[in-house]
Amino acid sequence: MDRPATDMNRKQKRRTITFAVWGGVVIAMILLLTSIWAMNSARRGADQAVARVSDFYLEELAGKRAEVLSKELADRFRFMENALAILDASYLESQEALRSFLGKVKKLYDMDKFVLVDENGIVYAEHSTTSGLSRYGFLSGELTEPLIVTTNLYGARKQVILAIPVEGISFQGARIKVCFSQINMNEMLGFLTQDDNNNTFFNLYYQNGESLTNDDFGYLTAGKNILQALGDAVMEEADGYERILNDFASGRQGKISFNYMGTVEDLCYIPVEGTNWMLTILVQDNVIDDQISSVSSRMLSRSTLQIIITVLSMLGVFLVLIHQSRKSVGILIAQEKADADRIRAAYAQAEREQTAMENIHVAMGSGRWGMEFDEKGAMVSCTWSTTFRHMLGYEGEEDFPNRLESWSDLLHADDKEQVLAEYWETVNDYTGEKNYDVEYRLLTRHAGWRWFHAAGRLSRREDGSPITFVGLFVDIDEEKRLKAQLEQQKRNLEDALAAAQHANKAKTTFLNNMSHDIRTPMNAIIGFTSLAAAHIDNTEQVQDYLAKITTSSNHLLSLINDVLDMSRIESGKVKIEEKETSLPEIMHDLKTIVQSDIASKQLEFFIDTADVVNEHVLCDKLRLNQVLLNLLSNAMKFTKPGGIVSVRILQKGNVADGWASYEFQVKDTGIGMSQEFVEHVFEPFERERTSTVSGIQGTGLGMAITKNIVDMMGGQISVDSREGKGTTFTVSLRFRTCTGPVRQEVIPQLQGLRALVADDDFNTCSSVTKMLSTIGMRPDWTTSGKEAVLRTRLAEEQEDTYAVYIIDWLMPDMNGVEVVRRIRALIGEETPIIILTAYDWSDIEEEARKAGVTAFCSKPIFLSELREVLESPFGITRECQPGAGETISFEGKRILLVEDNALNQEIAIEILREAGFVMDVADDGEVAVEKMEHATPGQYDLILMDIQMPIMNGFEATRRIRALGRAGISDLPIIAMTANAFEEDRKAALKAGMNGHIPKPIDVPRLMELLQTILQVPGQDDLHIPGKA
Amino acid sequence: MATIKKHTGKEQKKELPGKLEKVLVLAAFFCGGSLGLAGCGDSPQETLFQSDVPAVGDPGDGDAAQNMVEAVELDHVLDGYVPCKKEYNFYFTYKLVHPWWDAVALGIEDAAKQYESLGIIINYEYLAPNAASAQDQAGRLRDASGRGFDVIGVDVADVDIITPVINELMADGQKVMTFSSSDASREDGCSRIAYVGNTHNYEDGADLALALCEKLGGIGRIAILVGNEGAPCHEDRARGAREMVALYPDMEIVETAYDGDSVDNAYELAKAFLSRHEDLAGIICCNMSNPVGAARAVVEAGREGKTLIVGMDHDQEALQYLKEGVIYALGVQDCYSIGFDTLQVAVKIADGVLPGELYPEKTQERTTIIYQDGAAAMLRTLYGEID
Repeated sequence: MDRPATDMNRKQKRRTITFAVWGGVVIAMILLLTSIWAMNSARRGADQAVARVSDFYLEELAGKRAEVLSKELADRFRFMENALAILDASYLESQEALRSFLGKVKKLYDMDKFVLVDENGIVYAEHSTTSGLSRYGFLSGELTEPLIVTTNLYGARKQVILAIPVEGISFQGARIKVCFSQINMNEMLGFLTQDDNNNTFFNLYYQNGESLTNDDFGYLTAGKNILQALGDAVMEEADGYERILNDFASGRQGKISFNYMGTVEDLCYIPVEGTNWMLTILVQDNVIDDQISSVSSRMLSRSTLQIIITVLSMLGVFLVLIHQSRKSVGILIAQEKADADRIRAAYAQAEREQTAMENIHVAMGSGRWGMEFDEKGAMVSCTWSTTFRHMLGYEGEEDFPNRLESWSDLLHADDKEQVLAEYWETVNDYTGEKNYDVEYRLLTRHAGWRWFHAAGRLSRREDGSPITFVGLFVDIDEEKRLKAQLEQQKRNLEDALAAAQHANKAKTTFLNNMSHDIRTPMNAIIGFTSLAAAHIDNTEQVQDYLAKITTSSNHLLSLINDVLDMSRIESGKVKIEEKETSLPEIMHDLKTIVQSDIASKQLEFFIDTADVVNEHVLCDKLRLNQVLLNLLSNAMKFTKPGGIVSVRILQKGNVADGWASYEFQVKDTGIGMSQEFVEHVFEPFERERTSTVSGIQGTGLGMAITKNIVDMMGGQISVDSREGKGTTFTVSLRFRTCTGPVRQEVIPQLQGLRALVADDDFNTCSSVTKMLSTIGMRPDWTTSGKEAVLRTRLAEEQEDTYAVYIIDWLMPDMNGVEVVRRIRALIGEETPIIILTAYDWSDIEEEARKAGVTAFCSKPIFLSELREVLESPFGITRECQPGAGETISFEGKRILLVEDNALNQEIAIEILREAGFVMDVADDGEVAVEKMEHATPGQYDLILMDIQMPIMNGFEATRRIRALGRAGISDLPIIAMTANAFEEDRKAALKAGMNGHIPKPIDVPRLMELLQTILQVPGQDDLHIPGKA
Repeated sequence: MATIKKHTGKEQKKELPGKLEKVLVLAAFFCGGSLGLAGCGDSPQETLFQSDVPAVGDPGDGDAAQNMVEAVELDHVLDGYVPCKKEYNFYFTYKLVHPWWDAVALGIEDAAKQYESLGIIINYEYLAPNAASAQDQAGRLRDASGRGFDVIGVDVADVDIITPVINELMADGQKVMTFSSSDASREDGCSRIAYVGNTHNYEDGADLALALCEKLGGIGRIAILVGNEGAPCHEDRARGAREMVALYPDMEIVETAYDGDSVDNAYELAKAFLSRHEDLAGIICCNMSNPVGAARAVVEAGREGKTLIVGMDHDQEALQYLKEGVIYALGVQDCYSIGFDTLQVAVKIADGVLPGELYPEKTQERTTIIYQDGAAAMLRTLYGEID
């Protein structure tokens, strides 16, 4: 039974296979035949369509291209006219300007060349000027209308030129007669040609058949006459050739077909409006036919092959599918079992690892956290681990829920924005490159703000969207605090090191400088002393040496003074003592002190006031003087002859009652300072240039002393300096006022009267004018002497004369005396004329008075002084200048010199004997007291007392002498003559009962002045004369 | 026929002083004559001039059109020199407004465009009078010297008049070069920096004369037309022609005349030659206007083929006459290359580079002698003209 059944099955299977094979063959044949039929039908249709479309295409194409070309030419003519319209005179001023214009136009309108041509045939282009008569033939005639010409340049490059006549424009004396632009026809036609297969050709011809371009046209060689060439072609229509000749001659559109060199071609031509050009389009028919046939054949072959491959592929796929389906079932079962085993093992492993990790986190003090996200990236769960909660001081989910806000609400305000931004940037970074790693402060439940470090990473889906975000959280507060402390310590150490290094460096520099600065005058002193000894018989030479020794000695003394002053300031020994002080007095004293130096250095000096209404204040006059003198000395030191030094005092407003605020400006036009040095100018031991380099000596302490004093006075000092331009120091100080403001009321006699101020310093004009207004006058001002004379004349003519003239002595255009002379000639003798000056006027006083000066007034002038001078009857000179010193004779006056040092004894005795004194000497205080005990009244007129002496010092000796209780002895004037030169030494001397104090080394004129004062005015309280700064 | 020795076009050619050159010519003649008598078969003149002038289109040269490409080089590319500045200002003046110098101008223009594409602007003036005048040229040079040009270039109209002017400008610190057709050489006492152009005018004249003499079989009376009196290039060519003709004992120069670079004058002068010398066998033309005027006169007199013309340059009308056989030979100079190289040399001079490694003191440009069968190709090359 089995065998027949098997045979039956085999037969049945064979029949099925045979049926299937034949069925497949039949289907394949049907597909093949229908494809061939469809291809042939398509080809016939395509041929007909091509023919129809070709005609349409040619006509349409020709029309459009001719239109484009015509428009392009018209545009270019228009461009040229536009360009000429904007050619204004500025472009014709020079060749450069014209070239610039031509270049701009060329670029603007994208021309190959844009030029202007003058009547001499000179062609002006963007970068060239050339002679063009031989190159451009059309220039030889007069152009009256727009012209299109072709030039055939050397090298067979045809250029089409569009030219227009120009009128009314000349350049460099020649009339511009033509403007033209040049078109490269090959480039212009380039945009018309779009056929990549080279089956369609474009060209331009004149109506006589001559080519405008150098391009080949189908089989027609470049440059060949098309009408001549077509004579050799076989026309499709008998009258074709005649037709094209007529159409070209009359500029008509047309189309012909012909056979040229074995190729059937269609030629379409159309006139280009506005020209005598014919645009021609040539299509080669047989080339297209060949291509269509070739394409059709290829398509048929491919279709046949495609059908066969399709049938075979279908069969193959069917067999493979059956086979694969059988195999797949068995494999799938085995795979499912293996997968289940692996998943179970993985779960077990994951659980073990998780437990281990939790243990590690607890041990390490790091808290784990995690978040889950859905496909859209939205957070669906948030989990804080127990360790995490404990680190923040929370117990469980009840007091620290599994929400993001539980954590984010605790973030420090300064960190919150950045931390959350970091969090969301990490979550939203679908590239997965970003890691979350931040440090921040959190408010813990019991320990306040603490620093934590958190880091985490995301697992993501294929599209990058987040799935889970897991991370750790570590308390780094201790570490942070330690680090901050270390950084602070490091910074402190660095600052200290830098300060120490700077100070060390400055002190080293100072020592070097001091070594040099002390050795320099010492060298002079020692050297000139030796020289004086060697030439002792030559009086003149010795005098010269001694003068030099004196100069060097004085300089050495100032160095020592500065160093000591600074030392005392730094050790806090200097105190500010406020006393009633007159600012006008300070300013006048200041001027008096510097006047001789100003003159000897040939500097120009200005000093003035502005808005000063409180002239008396409580301040330390000595220190204020020192500050201003330091600044002025500096200004004079660093300003070359001919330069300007000025001082100004300015009262500022907005100060509480009982106070006044002032600004003292000391300005010079000297060598100035570098910005680097300005930053250190007030630091001790700093000098811009060493004395060896600059030749200007100093300790580098002057500005530091000044700054310290200003600081002690509660003020500020600032500096503005530019190298080579000059320096301005501004000192701002606030003082208590000790009297009311200067009287502001008007002076009735002067109210409404005119006054003229003439000063070349505008600040003085401004200041004095304000003061005059305050007292009710109508002031005018001028900075010119000549103008002052002119204004006087005008005032006289207008009968509105000036009642007072205040005139500067030195004005650049006319000196004050001359101005006065001329004004006097106009106004007569009555009106007061006051000369205002910062200089000593004694030399010119006589001449000035002859010229008509009524009074002199010293700069700076304050309101009180101006009031005084204007209220006083004129004619009384306000003599501010001290008279010439009288020669005082001390002949017969007796002095006891108490001095332990033999050399100092000798010096003092010599000096005082020279002055006429009779000298007696005591070697120490005890001897002096003894001498006084035994002296008779009148035996001595004065005692000069050293302070530091062996056996008994000067203070003790003074006290004992004062305690003797002998009339004519105990009350003898005692003057301390000591090397203890400071203010506290002076005070100590006065306190011990002395009458005065003169510091060593002895300043002879000062000593004489003091002796004169004391001996003429015995019993004066304070005879101390402050030392020079 | 002259020896055809093609040169590379840019090599520096050492010129011999006039007297020495003549001695060598005569020595060569006698040597050559001896060799001829010995039956070597070469014409005696083949060894006379080591001419660099190639010939195109003469009988036996079957590739005339191809050689046109070499005769006139139109596809120049700037050499690799990197200019120091971004902008230059040059002044060029030449003998007179004439198409020959328009071809030079095209070379200058193209070089300037190539520099512009590299971001370097060349501003220049390229000016000349309508009629040649050395005095006018001297005035132009002096005017230009005060206008701050980087380099002043001059095609010397008259070496005696212009040399002192060039020396004066050089002494004033101007940088002066000569270019195109005529040089004022250092040997002549001129201190100009460099020259770009035809350095072989003497040889060109001699070669044209040689071609004519050979064509005439060494027998005949001929005339010479020259351009401007004093113009070095014209005079040198005339001298070369005269000295070549002198080597043919049966040749006679009956007249020499100057047309002042005017075609009309050339026509009138040639007409006069023909009327005065009925047996005139040839006219040697030494400039561009000469052959055009001469050909017009010959055609008018109906003497085509009887009075042969040899001449210079590439005038379109002259080339037409060459194609028609009225003119026998033309020496075509490579004007475009002259212009192109002039600008390149000017840039180097402006940068302070002296002749030496980067450019020679004399940049020599080629002259090609072409005959009837080369005319059509030349017309197409230069003017795109088709039969």
